[in-house]
Amino acid sequence: MTEQAMVRIEDLHKSFGALEVLKGVDLEVARGEVVVILGPSGSGKSTMLRCVNRLEEPTSGRIFIENDEVTDHKTNINEIRARVGMVFQSFNLFPHLTAKSNVMLALRKVKKISKEEAEQIALEGLARVGLDDKADVYPIMLSGGQQQRVAIARALAMDPHVMLFDEVTSALDPELVREVLDVMKGLAKGGMTMLVVTHEMGFARDVASRAVFMDEGVIQEQGTPEEVFDNPQNERTKDFLGHIR
Amino acid sequence: MEGIIEYLESIKFVHLFMSPTIIWQSLPLLWKGFQAAAALLIVGYLLSLPAGLTAAFMKMSKNPIVRIPATFYIDFIRGTPLLVQILVIYFGFPLLMPGWREFATGPIGQISVAGIDMSQFVRAIAALVINSGAYLAEIFRAGIQSISKGQLEAARSLGMTTMQAMAYVIIPQTVRRILPTMMSEFILLFKDTALFFAVGIFELTLQARTIQARTFNMSPYIGAAGFYLMLTLPLGRLVAYLEAKLAVSETGREPENRQERKRRKAARAKEASA
Repeated sequence: MTEQAMVRIEDLHKSFGALEVLKGVDLEVARGEVVVILGPSGSGKSTMLRCVNRLEEPTSGRIFIENDEVTDHKTNINEIRARVGMVFQSFNLFPHLTAKSNVMLALRKVKKISKEEAEQIALEGLARVGLDDKADVYPIMLSGGQQQRVAIARALAMDPHVMLFDEVTSALDPELVREVLDVMKGLAKGGMTMLVVTHEMGFARDVASRAVFMDEGVIQEQGTPEEVFDNPQNERTKDFLGHIR
Repeated sequence: MEGIIEYLESIKFVHLFMSPTIIWQSLPLLWKGFQAAAALLIVGYLLSLPAGLTAAFMKMSKNPIVRIPATFYIDFIRGTPLLVQILVIYFGFPLLMPGWREFATGPIGQISVAGIDMSQFVRAIAALVINSGAYLAEIFRAGIQSISKGQLEAARSLGMTTMQAMAYVIIPQTVRRILPTMMSEFILLFKDTALFFAVGIFELTLQARTIQARTFNMSPYIGAAGFYLMLTLPLGRLVAYLEAKLAVSETGREPENRQERKRRKAARAKEASA
């Protein structure tokens, strides 16, 4: 198991000034697993996710991706990030580039792939999220759901070994949530390893191989979605699930 | 034609301030002055860009040893009159440079750049770059910091280095956003070249002043004003145009007044064709 772990987080702590957001998180994600992370806002779930590719610098603890230590400053973080895809709540598409160019940029500059090949990959990627007809459109002309799908295509184009989703539907209008979740479901079915921070309980139930409940900077409870949703053991989990139903 | 000019010259105010005869006679010298001012502007501005960018990045540095000098420089320059800076730099430069005298009187120092001696030109450029660099630094810094943090994060999460993220994601967006402000600084700098009359550089204003002193007539200044406007008016329009275009690219909509103008234009065209 340890040898096979895609992501391994050991005793992760993170403080912002005097505020301790993560108080010792341990988590192991196996290849092909879809781990959904739930919890009230301020529980540290996004911070944990952002520590995985070191967008946040952990205060202490160790994180491994496929046996490379992310938290070791001697490792080339850019090389690791290139195989860890990330999708954000606020899309973060590059507004000065078309959908296609958004997908192509890191292929060209990080992977040094030829223009023709990068274009090919970008068009295939956009087709995969159902947006091949929007290849030459600028982000401003796309709906939120379409922008988020381009963002997913952009991350997928790098051929990542694991994908991090940080509340990717929270900024979307309700009617646009589904198109994004559908893309994510397809990914999960295809065997992608995924860490998903979300409030979409239906998605968690359908897709997750494991549900993790976080509160107060630690993992309070984890298990299969059925265990966590239908038969929560932890008082905080019960309380949280009771509130959102 | 001659009659009209004669009539205009007979009006005292027109003769003293806008004499067609005197402006006409001033044109060759004013044109020389304009070329000198334009050379100062273009060389000065182009060199200010890297200076400003460097100062902007220094000011954004987390390292206080890098940040504090940049902050001091920017605050000092923006908080003092350009005229004072010109006097200090123009007359201070030779005191600081070893072998200045040999350079100034030597063959290189005597080369004429748009009618200005090289020995004068380099000092004027130094003053312009030091001044404009500070203003541009603040324009760059504000522009870069106005790009949302998520842009850098997205670029970094794809494996780009900070330099790559800057070059391909942050700076292109910044330049688009600050282009109108950068152009405004260009216009301001052009008008600022007039201050070099104080150190005896024959730019546009000093040329006008020389003729004015000879004729006791204000018209050469008005002629010079015409030359300034020749550049500032079209550039000002260009800034307005760029701002409107920027609004479209940032919001996906044209500003109200432009939409309105287009609608009216279309309506007129329709009427005309009917």
